[in-house]
Formats: sequence, structure tokens, C-alpha cells
Amino acid sequence: MTKEELKGAGEEGEDQAQSKKALKKAQKEAEKAAKKAEKQAKLAAEQQSTEEDDFAKDRYGVSPMVQSQQKLDRVLVRVQELTPEKADQLIWVRARVHTSRAKGKQCFLVLRQQQFNVQALVAVGDRASKQMVKFAANISKESIVDVEAMVRKVDQKIESCSQQEVELHIERIFVISQAEPRLPLQLEDAVRPEGEGDEEGRATVNQDTKLDNRVIDLRTTTSQAIFRLQSGVCQLFRDTLTNKGFVEIQTPKIISAASEGGANVFTVSYFKTSAYLAQSPQLYKQMCICADFDKVFCVGPVFRAEDSNTHRHLTEFVGLDIEMAFNYHYHEVIDSITDTMVQIFKGLRDRFQTEIQTVNKQYPSEPFKFLEPTLRLEYTEGVAMLRAAGVEMGDEEDLSTPNEKLLGRLVKEKYDTDFYVLDKYPLAVRPFYTMPDPSDLKYSNSYDMFMRGEEILSGAQRIHDAQLLTERATHHNIDLEKIKAYIDSFRYGAPPHAGGGIGLERVTMLYLGLHNVRQTSMFPRDPKRLTP
Amino acid sequence: MPMYQVKPISGGDIKVDLPTCMYKLPNIHAQSDSGSCIDNVLQNGEVDPALKALEQRQDEILRRLYELKAAVDGLAKTVTTPDADLDATSLSSAPVMSAPKEVADLDSLLGKDLGALRDIVINANPSSPPLSLLVLHGLLCQRYSVLSTVHVHSSVPSVPPKLLNCLGPRHPDSYTRQRFQLGFTLIWKDVPRLQMKFSVPNMCPIEGEGNVARFLSRLVGLEPRDPVAATLSDSWVDTAFFQLAEGGGKERAAVVRALNAALGRGPWLAGADLSLADVVCACCLLQTGTSAASAPANVQRWLKGCQNLDTLACINPLLQ
Repeated sequence: MTKEELKGAGEEGEDQAQSKKALKKAQKEAEKAAKKAEKQAKLAAEQQSTEEDDFAKDRYGVSPMVQSQQKLDRVLVRVQELTPEKADQLIWVRARVHTSRAKGKQCFLVLRQQQFNVQALVAVGDRASKQMVKFAANISKESIVDVEAMVRKVDQKIESCSQQEVELHIERIFVISQAEPRLPLQLEDAVRPEGEGDEEGRATVNQDTKLDNRVIDLRTTTSQAIFRLQSGVCQLFRDTLTNKGFVEIQTPKIISAASEGGANVFTVSYFKTSAYLAQSPQLYKQMCICADFDKVFCVGPVFRAEDSNTHRHLTEFVGLDIEMAFNYHYHEVIDSITDTMVQIFKGLRDRFQTEIQTVNKQYPSEPFKFLEPTLRLEYTEGVAMLRAAGVEMGDEEDLSTPNEKLLGRLVKEKYDTDFYVLDKYPLAVRPFYTMPDPSDLKYSNSYDMFMRGEEILSGAQRIHDAQLLTERATHHNIDLEKIKAYIDSFRYGAPPHAGGGIGLERVTMLYLGLHNVRQTSMFPRDPKRLTP
Repeated sequence: MPMYQVKPISGGDIKVDLPTCMYKLPNIHAQSDSGSCIDNVLQNGEVDPALKALEQRQDEILRRLYELKAAVDGLAKTVTTPDADLDATSLSSAPVMSAPKEVADLDSLLGKDLGALRDIVINANPSSPPLSLLVLHGLLCQRYSVLSTVHVHSSVPSVPPKLLNCLGPRHPDSYTRQRFQLGFTLIWKDVPRLQMKFSVPNMCPIEGEGNVARFLSRLVGLEPRDPVAATLSDSWVDTAFFQLAEGGGKERAAVVRALNAALGRGPWLAGADLSLADVVCACCLLQTGTSAASAPANVQRWLKGCQNLDTLACINPLLQ
């Protein structure tokens, strides 16, 4: 009722204006229609003309979706291989459109393939028509194109591209897969060094945007370099250890009991009961030693249900774990592990220099320094160095993160190394299975390794004697029932052994001097992120 | 007289409707009250008793500070010139040389032990191995229990094995660093000048092989006790590094002549015993490729004597 009344009132008021308004409206519409007709005529004329004189019609276009209709024998050249030796050859390239810039009768494209890019040019001429240039200019960024082009040497180096000495003169261009015109983030913005953006008023992309659109972020030169280097770390780790006679093993990730105490484990439902995600493959590594595999390593995911949102904690990361039986002294194991690390560092230094330089462009850092053989300091020495620097701490106190950093700086100052081992930790701050020091019960046969002042590996000689293990477990108030299987594995003769594990992401981060472990995890998992 | 005057931006007489719900404060813009305290003092000729008390307190503090300064000055006079009455002429005749060389106390030489291994870190370039320091290392090992380690820094791609083994075989106890009195860590590194680091917070790095040699020689008592001989030895160390090791052919020939003359006067370069000067000069001569045969007679005899010493034997593998 009320609504209708109101409506009625409104209509009454409108009635007066109706005639004038209608008149105006009609006039406008007429104008519009005229314009439209004109435009359409023009467009039609244009189209007609294009259809008529576009001699290059079949030299460009959007290819039908590749459904493996035909198997072409066409050789596609890698952008990386475009060097002056290829000059004046007609070649095919598949690449992404990195940028495009049209200028009158020509259009410059930068074609990108992983971290390599090359300048390409479409210009009106006897091979390309005006329409083809227009088409090329309208290809959205990040689209994938097939291009047939002549390689030409350039007089002046193209500073903005990785292939600086040649450019491509495009003769055919086909879009294989089109990108949406609006990108969630621009690649140039994502690789801009921090701080530079602020100065020039240019955008930088924040971490969360990058991680939300990880697929695009991973295309940047920096990300490409980081993950290529990370793959190198894994490769070198495997190669070095295999050469040393280690055996690669696989361990279960769903386990029935928490491996290191009860805290920080993810519970998963397991049919009618529940199970846990492995926090470390340690027990299984040790069982393999007891089963006479002598030297083992494994590479696999490790889960930690720690609710810490720091730059170096992830809830799932890749663990590179080593366990090794030794003859008489656990330093045999330290020597093995540190030598493996040094081989990795050397391999990275010698084989991945381009990647390191690329990452340095966005995240500048000092090159990673190390000594061979690795420097080994003892815990008491570390504490003494800290005390000399004015830190107050107890003999048996664990190192806090700031103290670890400070000690890293002090060690670097004196020995100029970013990698060192701190040996003989106090027994009180280590897990129950750590072997006590034979001469001083306050200390233990355990060690941490540090890169740029941050802990990357924590390891120890493990107790391989069931009786001593039971004693130590009772001392730590651990329910013996829960670790019965673990203790039992040492009852039938066990070789003395030691080991440790490193986190792949953390090692990559610290080697490159990055400041967040999420940058070196392809799809990071932390307490606040489960996707993508 | 004020420097310049500016018209008030807002008049002090603006009427503002102030809410009554809160407490009141005097208007800070109002001119009438400003500087009232000083004005009052000047006009009335009376000083606030609180101010007077403050002035008295400050005077008292100043007086006590002056007293303290005088006391410290007096103390400083007696401390800084303890042997002002010592006769300088008796110095050279003092029978210092006869004093037996007892094992130097590391605590007194290097400062109190804080529980850490006292580690001497030497960064040396593999292109010019510091021979004299290797000799001194040998002497250190005779006197103390020394943990010797050799490392290669990442700035150097690789070094020949003879440089890796230049400090001799590994000590059987090297797995416990705490058992040693002294650490000797040699790092082959791409450095322009040899460098030694000892206590980073308290001591700046020592640069140059000669200076490091001086530091180490004091730990092994190789420096002559007699001040005259010590000065002589010191000057030979400089000569050795600046003119023998780094100098040209002519300079070197001149030094060899000077050595010959000096060795005509005694068996060793400074004093009656082997000193740092002998070690350093011999090492520099041997490193530049001077063979004993081509040298003048006195140098020849002396160089042979040096090479026959056990302490210099350790550099032989590096000379080949």
C-alpha cells in the first residue's frame, strides 16, 4: 500500500518534466544512433580493406588449442641458445611475451623463456602487414607464442635482455596460449629490489601477494634462480653422499608415536585410531643403522606443528637427513657431514654462479664464505666468546637465537667463515637419546652447525645401549611404554652411530643470504598458509 | 633587544567557549602572564628561596668535583712516572742477558684465560707462504701444547698438499680443543697482506709477516732481553721484509753485504744467541732463492748453521 502511494506521488512530479526530458532523450538517442552507424560503416570499411589487402593474413593469429592434432617436426630453438652464431638463420621459438611496445609501424616484444629473454621486432614490410603489427601489439603479457623469425646481430648491446647481441625479426607469430589481460602482479614489480621501489615511487609486491599468486611469482628470474639452486643443493647432497658410500633410504611419514617427545606433532585420523605425521626420520634412520646399512641418508618431508610465525619456521619442509655408524669417535661423523656441506658449497659456488648473481640483483648479500676443513669450536669456547663480548649466560644454558646470531658474527669476525660447527653442547639442553660426554657429565657428544649465524643442523652421537637409554629416558621423565620399540631396537647389538639433519629450505635461504624461508619453499606451509 | 619581531598569528584575545566538564588550565597564548617569574625577581629585587637553595647545591657539587680532580691529578703524577729517578746510563750494562729464559706465562702474556682456547688465527696468501711463522710455530710447539690446524678459505680455489701439511701431522688429541694451551690456526686465504687475529673484541688485527713474527717471538722468548740487542734484532726484521723479501736485486745485494759485515762481528745477528733476526733473515734469504753457495763467506757459514737447526727444518719441504 504505502509503496504504491509513494510511487504515485513520484509519478505526479515526474509528469511535468516528462515532456522536456523525453524530448532531450530522443534527441540524444538519435545522435548516438547516427554516430554508431557512422562508426560501423567505418569499421566495416576498414574490415573490408583489411580483408582485402592483408597479404600477411596467414602469418599470424591465434592457434587452435593444441590437442596433439598433428606432430610437427619443427625444431624449436631455446632462447638461451640465441647467440651471434645463429645470425641470419630463420628459426622457430616458443616463448612467453614478457613485454610488448607498439610504436607506429613496428612493435617491439621481449620474449622470455625461464630466466632468458630476447628482443623481437615486428615491423611493417614485405613479410608483415599493418594488421599483423597491430595483432602483435595486442597480445597480452605472459601469453605463450610460437614465433618464426630471422636472427639478426645488433650493433648496440641490448642491455635489458639476457641475449644482448641478437634480436629476432618476426615473420610469423601465433598465440599458443593466451594470458588474461589483467595480471594479479607484474613480474617487473616482483623482482624489484626492496627499497628501490620506495625511492622512485614504483610498486613492489608484498610477500603474501607473491605467495597467493605463486605460479606467476615463480616465473620471475629471481624465483627461477632460487629453485634451480635449490635443486642443485639436493643433487649435490645426493651425489656427495653416494660417493661416500651412503645408501638412500625412504622412511614412513605416518607414524604411531611422536618421535621427539609429544609436542609439536600433527595428529591425523587413521581409520579407527589416530596417527602422527613424522617430525623427523630419526628413529627409522637409527633402525637402519642397527640393521647394518652402515651409512644412510634420506630426503623427504618433515612436519612440525609449531605455531611460530617467524622468518625461518615452516610446518612442512624438506629434511636432508644423515645417519652413520662410526668406528671410535663421533668426530668421524662430524667430518663426514661437514665435508658434505663443504662439497655442496663448493659445487654451488662453481656451478651456480649465474643463479647466485641473479638472486643478488634483487636481494644483495655478501658471498657465502667457508673454510675447508670446517671450523669446529667447542660450546664452552662459544660461551667464552659471548661473555667476552658482554653477554651474561650460564655454562649449561642453551644459546638463544640472538646469542646464536651474535656468536655467528664473532666467529665470522675472527675466522671469516659463514659456516662452522659448535661441538659439545651441555647435556641438559639436548634430547634424552644424546650420548653424554665420557669425561664431563655436564656436556654431551652433540653438535650444532651454523650458517650465517643461524642453526641449520642439530645432531649428536646417539645412545646405542638399551640400558643407558632407559636410564636417560627415566631421567627425562619419559614414559618408557611409549618408546619401548625404540629402545628394543638396540637390544640385539647396535653399532655406535651419530647423525643429523638439515632443512633444505633453510640451507638455500642462508646460502643466498635471503631473509625469509618462504622465498625458498616452493609452496610454503606455515601456521597461516595452506594454499596454494 | 630581540632580533626581530613577528606579529602574533592569532590574537590572544579570542574568546573561546570552553566546556565546563573538564578542569581548566591558564591560557598559554595570553601575554599577560609570560615571563612573570623573572620579571618579578627583577622588579622586586627578591629571589625565590627555592632558586637560592638550588644555586647553593650546585656550588657545593662543583666544589667537590674540583677537590676530586686535584686528588686524581696527584695520583696520576706518582703513577705515570714510576722510575723517573732511574738512571738511564745503567741500562745497557745491566746483566739482563744472563737471566735464564723461563717458560713464559701465557696468562701474563695474552691476558686471562676465559675458558676458551686462546686461538691465534693467521690468514696467509698461498702465493707467499710465511716461512718465518712456520719456524716460530715449531718453537711454540716445543714450549706449549699447541693445537695446530690448517684451513683453506673459500676465496682460494685450491692449495698444494705441502701447504696443507705445513704445520706437521695432526695432534692425536685434537678432538678436544680444551686440552691445549694455545691454538694456531693457519687459513690459506686470498689476502693482500698476511694478517693475524687473536682477540677480536680487544685487539685489532696485526698486519704483515714481520709484525706477526714479533708477536709470536715474544711468546717463545726469541726476542733478546737486552734492549740494545732487541732493537738491533727489530731493525733486522724490518730490513728482511722490506728490502730482502720485497726489494729489488740491488737492494737485496746491499742487504747481503750488510749481513756479511754484521756476521763478521759475531755468530748471530743480534747478541750471542739465535734471535728472531736470524730466523727472519734466513727465511727471507731462502725464500728469495739465495743458495748458501753463492753468498759471501760469513753469510754462507751462518746460513748453513741456520739450516742445520732443528727449528728451521720444517720449512725445507716448502722450499723445493
